[in-house]
Amino acid sequence: MIPALRLLLPALIPSWNFFDVIGDSPRLEYALLRSPDEAAPDWLEFRPRPERVPLLAMLGRLFWNARWNETLFVAGRADWLIDEPTEHSRNEIFHRIAADLADRTDREAAWLTFRIALLSELEGKIVREIAFVSEPRRLSTISVR
Amino acid sequence: MTLDAAIRLTEVLLALAFIQQGAEHLRRFRDEQVLFLVRTALCVFVILGIGAPWPLGGLALLSLVILHRFRGPYNGGSDRMGLLALWCLVLSQVLPTEKAREIAFGYLGAQLVLSYLIAGWVKIRNPDWRSGRALRQVFAFSVYPVSERARDWAARPRVLFAMSWAVILFELAFPLTLVSQPSLVVGLALAAAFHLANACLFGLNRFFWTWLAVYPAIVWLQGRLF
Repeated sequence: MIPALRLLLPALIPSWNFFDVIGDSPRLEYALLRSPDEAAPDWLEFRPRPERVPLLAMLGRLFWNARWNETLFVAGRADWLIDEPTEHSRNEIFHRIAADLADRTDREAAWLTFRIALLSELEGKIVREIAFVSEPRRLSTISVR
Repeated sequence: MTLDAAIRLTEVLLALAFIQQGAEHLRRFRDEQVLFLVRTALCVFVILGIGAPWPLGGLALLSLVILHRFRGPYNGGSDRMGLLALWCLVLSQVLPTEKAREIAFGYLGAQLVLSYLIAGWVKIRNPDWRSGRALRQVFAFSVYPVSERARDWAARPRVLFAMSWAVILFELAFPLTLVSQPSLVVGLALAAAFHLANACLFGLNRFFWTWLAVYPAIVWLQGRLF
């Protein structure tokens, strides 16, 4: 209960400094592997953005935006994983990627790994740096429910 | 608006916002389904006014379990405002004197004003916000834009400069709207439009509903102070 109260404190005495500094932005990528030591995996972006979202869909998302809110939650945990790595953040990311892959057809790739790229601006250009690569984890050991 | 009416309206709006959020957790994982089904049931009791103030107390206790589950708020600032509103509502119902109840509920209204004022203050102190560069970066590479097309706004520096200053000035000026009820209504309408734009461009729908739920607190506080 005490740790939860500690988590509650910033809500009761909030800072409200939204978007005060635009920091590096995480992008999550994952790869399916046939063995844990497979070299040069084929990285895929986790939930890439759609090209466009029609106005009606935007308004609909006022009422139902589960997938996007979960994507933002995962991005937040990716940020934490770089700043203050915890097993919980790692597990959450594995858990949610694996759940997305539950219906995959390629059953031979039994291992999952992810990495976090950080995007930032340097001299007017967007630069990308790999900040974290996870250990591969066997998909069958990750809960998807 | 009386204190009791404002508290009642806030708790109903907050319960509706919680039901909307909770529904989004019911589609996937079993542990989240259990937590948010219980929360939704408590929200229904709050809306129907059954067993007050126990359902609110139950929501407050459950909020600690949910915080522990996600090791923090699930969706940052919007969840924090929801938690603040919830705990202020609980206090404003269980504290023994009218004065103490007013302070607890007034704190919520004051925090709503501060949420705009401080957000404006940190922006105006930042040269990147004053030049429009920060907002350009938000569109160019942050995680928030909902589509690739929305990123095209990053190529419109003049528009983003104007948008940055519009946001900064609105946020800093918001406390001035407290001088009268009509000006506050205008201020809150602008604020709601601001949250609606954030919901459309950045997918921040939870901010929209949570901030709206707290508006009765500031309407009551304005009437109490002026």
